[in-house]
Amino acid sequence: MSDAKPTSSSAPRAISGIEVMRGVGAQQAKGFWADAWERVLQRKSAVFGILWISVVAFFAIFAPVLASAHPVRLERLDAAGAVTEIEWPLLANLSPTDWLLMIGFVVGVPWVLFGPKSLGRSGRLGVLTVALLQAGLTIVLAGTIAKWADGSAIEWVKQAARLPSGPWPIVGAVAALVGLVALIVPTFATRAPRIATVIVTAVIAATLVLASGGQKLINFERYIDDERAGKIRAMWAPIPWSPQYTRSDMSAIAPGTAVAENSKLAEFAGTKFGERRNWLGTDALGGDVLAQMMWACRLSISIGLVSTGISLLIGVTIGAIMGYFGGWIDLLLFRVVEIFMAVPVLFLLIVAAGVLPRDTYVMMAIIGCFSWTGAARFTRAEFLKLRKQDFVQAAQATGLPLRAILFRHMLPNGVTPVLVDASFAIAAAISVEATLSFLGLGPDGQASWGKLLSSATASTGTFVWWLAVFPGLAIFLSVLSYNLLGEALRDAIDPKLRKAAH
Amino acid sequence: MVNFLLRRLFFMVPTVLGITFMVFMLLALAPGGIGAGLSVQGGQMSDTSKAAQMQAYLEDRYGLNDPVVVQYLRWLGRISPVKFGERDLRNASGDRVGAPREVKPPEMQWLFKPPDAPAVVFTPITGDGQQEQQVDEFKKLQRDAEGARRAYIGSARLFKDTLADYVREAGAPWSDRLEPKGGAEPERFRDLKLDPANAKFGALHQSADDMHRKWSLAEEARQRAHIAFKAKPYPLSGYGLIPGAVYLDSPDLGVAFSKNRPVWDLIATALPVTLLINLIAFPISYLVAVPTGILAATRRGGWFDVLSGVMYLSLYSIPTVLAGVFAIGFLANKQYLGLFPVSGLHDSAASTYTFLPYWDDAGAWQMGWLLDLGWHVALPVLCLVYASFAVLSKQTRAAMLENFNADYVRTAKAKGVSRNDVVMRHVFRNSLLPLITMFVGIFPAMLAGSVVIERIFTIPGMGSLIIEAIDLRDREIILANTFMIACVNLLALLLADILYAVADPRVSYE
Repeated sequence: MSDAKPTSSSAPRAISGIEVMRGVGAQQAKGFWADAWERVLQRKSAVFGILWISVVAFFAIFAPVLASAHPVRLERLDAAGAVTEIEWPLLANLSPTDWLLMIGFVVGVPWVLFGPKSLGRSGRLGVLTVALLQAGLTIVLAGTIAKWADGSAIEWVKQAARLPSGPWPIVGAVAALVGLVALIVPTFATRAPRIATVIVTAVIAATLVLASGGQKLINFERYIDDERAGKIRAMWAPIPWSPQYTRSDMSAIAPGTAVAENSKLAEFAGTKFGERRNWLGTDALGGDVLAQMMWACRLSISIGLVSTGISLLIGVTIGAIMGYFGGWIDLLLFRVVEIFMAVPVLFLLIVAAGVLPRDTYVMMAIIGCFSWTGAARFTRAEFLKLRKQDFVQAAQATGLPLRAILFRHMLPNGVTPVLVDASFAIAAAISVEATLSFLGLGPDGQASWGKLLSSATASTGTFVWWLAVFPGLAIFLSVLSYNLLGEALRDAIDPKLRKAAH
Repeated sequence: MVNFLLRRLFFMVPTVLGITFMVFMLLALAPGGIGAGLSVQGGQMSDTSKAAQMQAYLEDRYGLNDPVVVQYLRWLGRISPVKFGERDLRNASGDRVGAPREVKPPEMQWLFKPPDAPAVVFTPITGDGQQEQQVDEFKKLQRDAEGARRAYIGSARLFKDTLADYVREAGAPWSDRLEPKGGAEPERFRDLKLDPANAKFGALHQSADDMHRKWSLAEEARQRAHIAFKAKPYPLSGYGLIPGAVYLDSPDLGVAFSKNRPVWDLIATALPVTLLINLIAFPISYLVAVPTGILAATRRGGWFDVLSGVMYLSLYSIPTVLAGVFAIGFLANKQYLGLFPVSGLHDSAASTYTFLPYWDDAGAWQMGWLLDLGWHVALPVLCLVYASFAVLSKQTRAAMLENFNADYVRTAKAKGVSRNDVVMRHVFRNSLLPLITMFVGIFPAMLAGSVVIERIFTIPGMGSLIIEAIDLRDREIILANTFMIACVNLLALLLADILYAVADPRVSYE
């Protein structure tokens, strides 16, 4: 056996001294993060976690085209059955965020993987992330401001939102402002490509906002009735249900049942609608569970990432200041940290979510604003160690501004424990979202796994198992995935444990 | 050590102030504000002007029409053990009885001149053997004062409506200053000259007279009640430091808006339930997690280590709500296994049970009070403990492993100390330290966890109280809970530090 393969790649080859001098056999040094990443990928559990998160992310991006009660292609027929008109209702009803995510995925992922060599892969990933963030922020802010201005009491503000050509002044101003902020982020070393990216992103985001015609009144029943009457011929999405499409005559249908099998809807027997199935059943209001679960992936992914992002931003900044300055600034700021540690975070979150508006962004903000103390303490501990080191003193001696010392020189050396903790923080945020939604404090008008779970135990005492099992499994797998990933990252990075493992 | 303790206790004060201020502002700045729960109550009444009067009365009663910071300071004054002003009395059932509150005269001298304050001469019943009559009289005077005050607040609210009618009649530019609803604030019409030709002039005059008369009555009733209060129908509360100005008293947690009961009563009934569940859960989590942690550490890398690690991480990844829903759905619901009760802490007939189980004369098994309780708390406790297994056993394992590498362990092994003694006497003893800190860290987590669990299993503990209070926006309950949880938590942290020093002679706070 061993004779058959005399030069196994794993067996070390003898290298002469001259070869060593020439550099033969020397391994190219890997970066810290590349090394850690490789170690993470060696763990099966971590790979499983990454796979599940990817699946959730995929559905988060493509849920609007996979699960929709709008037909993909609709042919209007005249009385004789000839096609008079062709429409694409599904595409017409996509929101700017939907478009952004899909374009970003379809264009961005291949570019990151196989893009030009001039920029490293991590560099390309950074550019894509910043561009997506910029566009997303533009869309969200412009939408919120336009909506607020529309109902505002001030006349000229209201007019700006109701111009016949659309609310372009508001959108333009927001796009420009967010673009200015995005310019600060050092994605490219040189200025020209950075400005170009920011401008292109801003234009794309503004176009998306303006192109989507705002909220339309949706009447899904219309399609069903027309189809039954033979007025239209429709091609449906793979899952022909939307989370918003609820029918009171379809409440709590068991998984896998066809519509016409339901005694209340026997009239639909033989029609296309009657043959549709609710693969994972329906909830108490008569909405399809599978469609809601797919749409809820977006909430799951975004609430974890955004709220953890907010908490990292606050925590690292405050922790860095505490650790770097020490003394009375540390003492003072630590009182602030202690305020948040004095009461269980979940208690504060329940109070805040109970009294503040039920909105997705509000929820992300409160989770982020109440759970930054962990990141602050980790950063503080690292910075206390680092501030005495030579490279920091050298940076101080050269007269660098505080911002550069803190965030360019010290942060990269002290950010590791915070980033490991972030993975657990994302898991906790998902868990918190489920808890708050369960308590009835979740965002309104938004499909969520926690909300589905909460409707499993009705006040009448009946228990609907499919509302507990499927969303419950999704929540569990997501939390588990982030925890497994965090565990693997921690083991990969912690040198003490690494020594112990060998 | 004493120095350290004092320093830590001193630093607790700003922390508690900070957290209560934050929660207070959160409640106050939220849409609808603190009184949102009250308006729901008011809205149930059919007559809108009655509802408005009721709302005004409640706002006056709980001081909701003052600026938010004033309200917070007032709350702080009540919670503080050092109090200023007249000492409260304690009635027979131990409730606090404060001096009757001031009745502010209507502020609108630019429209109608307010009457002078009435001078009341009144001699309350006093003297030995007259205590009962004195208390009765005081109670009656208190009721009268409250009733007169309520009538006054109501008529003041009605006056605002009448003024709004008048101003509407007067037309622009006056009517532009009106708010869309809630009557007219006299403050906004300082430069208004009353015009007898206005159709509403008579009604306005009448309303103002009515309000003034009711204020006189309210003020008179208050003075009477105050005189009776000064005659001390009940014993004084607390300890006076400076007579009539500063005294020490226990914190006053206030009266819940939504239930019209002292918050302390509500907490006193809810807290034992939560403590019971947590005190059952605590030993269980330690008894399971610590031995498995030790086992995992001694057989590091073995199948038990791997299996327990994976299992605990999976358990840790199950959100409490999920476990609760599954437990209640599959284990408790009659549709499935139906092994456990679905809600509550006792069977409805539990008060007739004997304490311990027994076989009755017919030979049938009778579940006593204690077993019934255990049967009811089994699922909630299960949901409370499983998540802490992972944290605790991981901590135990890490601490044990760290000590296994220490020199003294090698020495002990070299001396030929038996393996069991090395593990239990040397390593475990020295690994106890982090477990002490964990003890304190898990407690608040369980307290938070029981909020959710009590909601799922409808157990009338602190968690249910808090959730209900948040639904009704009952500021007093939420604040009192925040205050108590913060105090308990901070004291627990301090306790951990002290225990640390006691357990480890190397740690000292000198």
